[in-house]
Amino acid sequence: MAQVSLKHIKKIYPNNEKKKKKKKGEPEKATNLKITEEGVVAVEDFNLEIADREFVVLVGPSGCGKSTTLRMVAGLEEISGGELYIDGKLMNDVAPKDRDIAMVFQSYALYPHMTVRENMAFPLKLKKMPQEEIDAKVNESAEILGITEYLDRKPKALSGGQRQRVAIGRAIVREPKVLLMDEPLSNLDAKLRNQMRAEIIKLRERINTTFIYVTHDQTEAMTLGDRIVIMKDGVVQQVGTPQDVFDHPANLFVSGFIGVPQMNYFDAKLVKTADTYAVELDGKTIELSKEKQDRLAAGGVEPQDITLGVRPEHIALLGEGQDMFTGTVDVSEMMGSSVHLHLKSLGQDVIVIAQTMNLQGPQPSHFQTGQNISFTFGGNVVHLFSKDGKNLEF
Amino acid sequence: MNTKTKGLFKNPIRRWSWLFMGPIVAAFCIGFVWPFAQGIYLSFCQFRLIRDAKFTGVSNYVQAFSDESFRHSFWYTALFAIVSLVLINVLAFTVAYLLTQGLKGSNLFRTVFFMPNLIGGIVLGYIWSMIFDGILSHYGTSILLETKYGFWGLIILMCWQQIGYMMIIYIAGLQAVPEDMIEASKIDGASRRQTLFKVTIPNVMPSITICSFLSLTNGFKLFDQNLALTGGLPFIIQDDGTTIKTTEMLALNIYNTFYGSSSTSPGMAQAKAVIFFVLVAGLGLAQLAYTRKREVQQ
Repeated sequence: MAQVSLKHIKKIYPNNEKKKKKKKGEPEKATNLKITEEGVVAVEDFNLEIADREFVVLVGPSGCGKSTTLRMVAGLEEISGGELYIDGKLMNDVAPKDRDIAMVFQSYALYPHMTVRENMAFPLKLKKMPQEEIDAKVNESAEILGITEYLDRKPKALSGGQRQRVAIGRAIVREPKVLLMDEPLSNLDAKLRNQMRAEIIKLRERINTTFIYVTHDQTEAMTLGDRIVIMKDGVVQQVGTPQDVFDHPANLFVSGFIGVPQMNYFDAKLVKTADTYAVELDGKTIELSKEKQDRLAAGGVEPQDITLGVRPEHIALLGEGQDMFTGTVDVSEMMGSSVHLHLKSLGQDVIVIAQTMNLQGPQPSHFQTGQNISFTFGGNVVHLFSKDGKNLEF
Repeated sequence: MNTKTKGLFKNPIRRWSWLFMGPIVAAFCIGFVWPFAQGIYLSFCQFRLIRDAKFTGVSNYVQAFSDESFRHSFWYTALFAIVSLVLINVLAFTVAYLLTQGLKGSNLFRTVFFMPNLIGGIVLGYIWSMIFDGILSHYGTSILLETKYGFWGLIILMCWQQIGYMMIIYIAGLQAVPEDMIEASKIDGASRRQTLFKVTIPNVMPSITICSFLSLTNGFKLFDQNLALTGGLPFIIQDDGTTIKTTEMLALNIYNTFYGSSSTSPGMAQAKAVIFFVLVAGLGLAQLAYTRKREVQQ
């Protein structure tokens, strides 16, 4: 267990593309990479203080720099700039083996020529630990992960889930200060992933270590992390607890990335009458909650054109005769406990989640393509973004 | 559809397999099985021409085993095969390992190291005999005058020729070792040396199996380089007047025996060739079985 501190960390790869001669008339390749004189920027000004025993999840789409950041903490990538501290010690130039960390890879990275027991004992043998102590630690870790019966098998004789447990076992047997996990569940099928996710939560209770977990799956991030770090194009977009990030996304990207299905967006207008803010959408006025009023007033936000965000689960269907916004059902997806309705409304697609239980409006079995539906949402659940994507409440 | 027609459609490949297999089986029989069987038969005969072969039992084998030059060339070949097996593989692996560490100019070096393999054995033998003699003449000697020069000369020649070829196989093997596994060993606390010996090498065992099989059998079967470099020289004369060429390897010994002056020479050479086959096949298979056990599946 340890505190980890990342200060102004950056990673720049040499730009090999510029060396290649470009053919005449060849168009510029479309890329979201930031290319500077120094090279291609993979991670930019990453700042994070991770507390002892905290579980931090780095999440973002492919190529956002989350794995690169993790690999810099592990010592597998050189840090181009900034400082990395583990337990107060500067680690920039310390070899991976001397950082007292362990890592679980997406591909498991087990040694195929060794048995499960040998795989788990490998880091301890390298430490020249007495054999009796090694046996005790391997058995203890195997018991925690429920892999005792596989100890004498080779990795090829194990299923994906069992292999991942062994990989976790090899990492925890060392009792590292920091446990790094690089998309450990990505290679598993959906059912096994849910099961392993629950096991990681339980594991976390049983071992005293600091976790840094990388995933592109926002469900994993939300369920596992004490705090989550959302990244895009090498830049941290927001750091916060799962609830905080869900309720108060810092910008349009975070609001769209966190939450399934994605948030609905509408072009709307923020208006101010006397000292009261309201939103105008499709000629209708939505009163904002007191909390939102106070935040906007504190930030001195001026009336302006905005992007209004509403989560599908925060939209309520209205019964016949009640009128707020209307739309026609395009697709209806029965998910069991809820129905995802794709509506054509306000000149765009709108997704609404309707719970199958306790529905006050129409019953889900009644939804048919082309059917007219009325819906509404309150001023307490809307998110207000400026046209450049920033949350106006921040 | 009757039963006969049903069978015709059900198993067309099995039914017409002889048509597709026939040409290759015929070629294999004519080009390999028949000459091989004929060779084994002739090893029990006295002959000059195949058509006048006379069956003489195991006398050719008795003669072959009692031939001092054959016994010498066997031990000489065995020593050569073991030394070249170790040196070629250690050096080829080292070069392959260095060229997979992301050094600048790796592709150029790979090409350069592979190039000697494109030159024929006879040509290489003559080129290297000139090089060695050019160096040794400064010390008043020649590669043909001392057994140790002939031995190490042939080792150097074979390393120079074979390392590039084996290197390509090792590079393929090293590139197949997952990068994650190497990184996992670094994090587990392994030094570069420990990673190499405890993780990398066990994972390139399939390449080691192939390369050691090839270099062992190549070492035993070596002929043209031996003929061109020293031709078996120097020689020593024994008490009974017979000569032993001290750098003569098994294949060259069989060749020289076949074209010897005695009427029993071709039969004896044939017997030596059969012994040679059993030896190379046995050693090759034993080595294959030994290294295969150490191979791992991902």
